[in-house]
Amino acid sequence: MMKKMMMTGVASAVFALATGSALAAAPADWSKVAATNVDLLYPGVSPVEWIMRGPSHGGARVLKRGESCTSCHSEEIGDMGRLIVSGGKIEPTPIPGKAAFINAKVQAAHDGENLYLRFTWKQPEASGAPKMDEANPVKIAYMLEDGGKVELAEQGGCWGSCHGDARTMPDGTDGKTKYVKDGSLANGVYYDLNQWRSGENKAYDGHVADKRVMEGGQALVAAEGKLEDGNWSVVFTRKLTGGEGDVALKSGNTYNFGFAIHDDNAEGRFHHVSLGYSLGIDADADIVAKKQ
Amino acid sequence: MAEQDSSNTGARGLSGLIAALRRPSVHYSLASLLLVGFVAGIIFWGGFNTALELTNTEEFCISCHEMRDNVYPEYKETIHYSNRTGVRATCPDCHVPKEWGYKMVRKIQASRELWGKMVGTIDTREKFEAKRLTLARSEWKRMKNSDSRECRNCHNFDSMDTEKQKKRASVQHEMAMEDNMTCIDCHKGIAHHLPEDMTDEDWD
Ligand code: HEC
Ligand code: HEC
Ligand code: HEC
Ligand code: HEC
Repeated sequence: MMKKMMMTGVASAVFALATGSALAAAPADWSKVAATNVDLLYPGVSPVEWIMRGPSHGGARVLKRGESCTSCHSEEIGDMGRLIVSGGKIEPTPIPGKAAFINAKVQAAHDGENLYLRFTWKQPEASGAPKMDEANPVKIAYMLEDGGKVELAEQGGCWGSCHGDARTMPDGTDGKTKYVKDGSLANGVYYDLNQWRSGENKAYDGHVADKRVMEGGQALVAAEGKLEDGNWSVVFTRKLTGGEGDVALKSGNTYNFGFAIHDDNAEGRFHHVSLGYSLGIDADADIVAKKQ
Repeated sequence: MAEQDSSNTGARGLSGLIAALRRPSVHYSLASLLLVGFVAGIIFWGGFNTALELTNTEEFCISCHEMRDNVYPEYKETIHYSNRTGVRATCPDCHVPKEWGYKMVRKIQASRELWGKMVGTIDTREKFEAKRLTLARSEWKRMKNSDSRECRNCHNFDSMDTEKQKKRASVQHEMAMEDNMTCIDCHKGIAHHLPEDMTDEDWD
């Protein structure tokens, strides 16, 4: 475990090369890999409990019929973020100067052994508000889910893990983390979770089932991030198959995918979140990882 | 039905309509509330038609302070009060059925039911809020039963160009058309704040 924790940055890349097959390597030229544009909105207080109730959310009825968030919201994510960040809706404690949304580009590739995921985005202006997470100016995390067993995973990316009683929510409890309905590793009802933290320069391989666990996964090889000319780029290297709490990725299949960025030293709910997308391994999807 | 109505001469010719429209479980209807001064109107303005016209104006509806102090300020912030087209939906546009016959029926119901029952029951903000859910539910039920007739006087699925709408609306409307849903199924709270004690069942 300790070893995994230290596997970051250059050291981990070297480590990966040393232990993995010599063929396993991230694309040499990312500019040749197709990029998918994804807007992440500042979500305010919109937990599952809010999302799925007709009186609070106009989309509830249609979500219950299986539509996805993007079918209604894909073209207006920036506007939604603006409405919320300004305190116009579902945000009891607006932070002046906070970015309303972040536009990120996602690229994916694989080589039969590892999945490579690259996220790039422009660093938004700092709000100047007190720092919540002193150590980490930026954190980025993605979740993967297999088969839509987690409620809302297929329709809404990470949203299925967001609940009103989680820490930093207005009605939350300290120490209460993300979880999913009927979450259970044994039953396959969980999200696989990988995160990279800029300040600690550290990668985490966890999952979200009945609670969120930040470590124990065996798929994540490394995560590397850098800020250049105001632009972030973070590359995750993840084995296609890992162990418990790691979604096993197979060529020809698609998986449910969502990600979030804690910008501006944010903590807990004060992040920017994507709606739900599909990730295909050599298969048609919103984001496709083709074999190199 | 007919027996009851025979006490009210004005209703006789309309008893069929009354039968069709009456909602047995509701103590007083919203139109009744809005038109509580109907009888007085006839007496003071001395003309039936004048009274009819007068009672169907917004001014009349908010001349009683229950409406002026409670629902009116909320409505003034909505699109039906002020929008770029200059078409205003006033209280009776949504609450009083348009055709003369329906109008009459509801006014007669109003004058008969209301005087005794209403005075004193919602004369403070607290009492209004306490009754709000009951009033709203009765209005939802009425609109549901009439397939949101008043909304459809101005809006209409058939002439709605969902292509031009935002996706969050068009996705819903296409589903609504398939499922034979009606406007009020989704557009509760279109002109007023929703009652705070509304339950999820009220929505589904
Ligand atoms: C059928 C269309 C539809 C779907 C599907 C849908 N929504 Fe919505 N959503 C709406 C409508 C309409 C509103 C605005 C009115 C309201 O809040 O009731 C809204 C509002 C919101 C808002 C508040 C910001 C705003 O612009 O009003 C958030 C946040 C949101 N939706 C998130 C989601 C998420 C997350 C999902 C998927 C889990 C989702 N929605 C799915 C229709 C939809
Ligand atoms: C007297 C005509 C009239 C009646 C009756 C009426 N409306 Fe409207 N409605 C309008 C007009 C005019 C607009 C504004 C159109 C615009 O600005 O483009 C509007 C706008 C709306 C909107 C758009 C809201 C928004 O924020 O963009 C909705 C939804 C709506 N009406 C629903 C209803 C429903 C539900 C009813 C019945 C309870 C109803 N209307 C009754 C005339 C009417
Ligand atoms: C299945 C639910 C549903 C039904 C039934 C429904 N609507 Fe809507 N309608 C919506 C939603 C959701 C929106 C988007 C609201 C928003 O933007 O916040 C909407 C938006 C609208 C708008 C604004 C359109 C725009 O482009 O801004 C109008 C006008 C409207 N509805 C009228 C009606 C009328 C009239 C009926 C009945 C004939 C009706 N709706 C039935 C859900 C519904
Ligand atoms: C666009 C249609 C529309 C207009 C215009 C409108 N109402 Fe309503 N009204 C409704 C609907 C729909 C309800 C049912 C409750 C709800 O959904 O808010 C309602 C409910 C009410 C209620 C019951 C209490 C409550 O808040 O639910 C009162 C009282 C009322 N309206 C009075 C008025 C008065 C007075 C006016 C004019 C100042 C007015 N309404 C204008 C549609 C409208």
